Amino acid sequence: MIDGAKIDIRNLNVWFGEKHVLKDVSLKIKDNAVTAVMGPSGCGKTTLIRAINRMNDVIAGSRTSGEIYIGGDNIYDSNTNVYELRRKVGMVFQKPNPLPKSIYENVTFGPKIHKMASGKSFDEIVEESLKEAALWNEVKDRMHDSAFSLSGGQQQRLCIARALAVKPEVILMDEPCSALDPAATAKIEQLIRTLTEDYTVIIVTHNMQQAARVSDFTVFLYLGKVIEYGETKRIFENPENVLTEKYITGEFG
Amino acid sequence: MKNRTKERLLFTALGIPTVICLIAFFWIVYILSMGIGTLNWKILTTSVLQGGMFEMIVGTMYLLLGAAGISGPIGVLAAVYLVEYAPSGKLTRIIDQAINNLAGVPSIVIGLFGYTFFCTQLGLGISLAAGWLTLALMMLPIVIRGSEEAIKMVPVSFKEAALALGTTKWKAISSTTLPAAAPGVVTSVILGIARVAGETAAILFTSCVLITRGLPKSPLDPVMTLSYNIFVKIVALGAPPEDVFGTALVLFLIVASLALSAIILRTHYRRKQPWLR
Repeated sequence: MIDGAKIDIRNLNVWFGEKHVLKDVSLKIKDNAVTAVMGPSGCGKTTLIRAINRMNDVIAGSRTSGEIYIGGDNIYDSNTNVYELRRKVGMVFQKPNPLPKSIYENVTFGPKIHKMASGKSFDEIVEESLKEAALWNEVKDRMHDSAFSLSGGQQQRLCIARALAVKPEVILMDEPCSALDPAATAKIEQLIRTLTEDYTVIIVTHNMQQAARVSDFTVFLYLGKVIEYGETKRIFENPENVLTEKYITGEFG
Repeated sequence: MKNRTKERLLFTALGIPTVICLIAFFWIVYILSMGIGTLNWKILTTSVLQGGMFEMIVGTMYLLLGAAGISGPIGVLAAVYLVEYAPSGKLTRIIDQAINNLAGVPSIVIGLFGYTFFCTQLGLGISLAAGWLTLALMMLPIVIRGSEEAIKMVPVSFKEAALALGTTKWKAISSTTLPAAAPGVVTSVILGIARVAGETAAILFTSCVLITRGLPKSPLDPVMTLSYNIFVKIVALGAPPEDVFGTALVLFLIVASLALSAIILRTHYRRKQPWLR
């Protein structure tokens, strides 16, 4: 259904202990687009995106079966370099989590780990990433202040800049605006739209209006299964599945 | 009316133990302060051979620093292992229990272990090195538990952020969790030092002698300490307590300033840990 798929998810199943959280999920995610993942609490949205950068691996008792192909390679293959995967697939968390370092050091953290630059060129990476994240003007005079001196919205944009600094191909966002006020949310939604030029974005959101505003495609998950997947406009105006319709009209959430 | 009286009664009841502790504390300080008359800068810096305390003070310091140098790194790494890597299961529970037990071993028994293992088996003899190892054993549970707490207080989000950027688990811990936990770790080391600073039983026959000629020149030399000196003077030499009040006061002041510096450090670094608020 979706051509030019950046990420090809096939028969993905995830268990946390005995709990079967994701059931036979198969999706093709389009590149250079924003795909929203929606659904009621506990339906597996976060688990789904965490499967794409294998962050579920760090949770004790987690088990994953199935394949996810990014750029032709199955990331669950036994000789995948997980660290390189996480560079290519960046993540922004629900609650902004700047590292306890300066603004500058937050952005250079990733490039340092992956030995992507040295000496002076760090300055360039920092400037570039902060500009991409629409934060440069606000922090250029206080780069060495603690990251915690920033407001919530600024911290989140810093986290985005941090993820961008390692030149990823995909950006996963787990309800990035849920801890922010409307003004900060608007800034970040604007930012997300500009990112599709160079990146593939997948955003988990509880907020239907946000999904409608920001995304090109939408996945509706319910109890770990994909109920519906298609162009956002079509899903909101003409849902095929009765469950989708009920969720959209707010009958349950 | 009844409720208010109940509250007042409770408040008083809870206040009494505090007052008792304070009274006990000040009484001890008062007794010790009787030794202040014998102290002056000269005594603290003159050699024991000339009636001063110099080698004893330095000896105590050497002992404490060495013990901290051993138990610090080992304790922190053990804490990291226990919090971040240890699988939940029988072996980990046994290790956990063993650490608790180590904390409860009477110091004289640790001293005996030190004597038979470090001094005799390992051939270190009555030495600074044997004292270091023995005291390190006593400090270890304190350093491990304190470091565990410090590590657990660091938000997991830091480590997660690092992992999501592509670090290995160890790199994530060493670049985010450990630096953030550092103040708590340092505090627990200082508290560990304060705990063993006055230790007599453990170093009684593992590292101390009454008199040495000058300062120890190598870790294999024995050492003079304040606590040992007090013990020997009272028990073996039958000296009147007044003779050692000065020594006791110096020892007390060392421990008190260590504890105080731990508190100051902790308060100072709270500012740099905004996630604690």
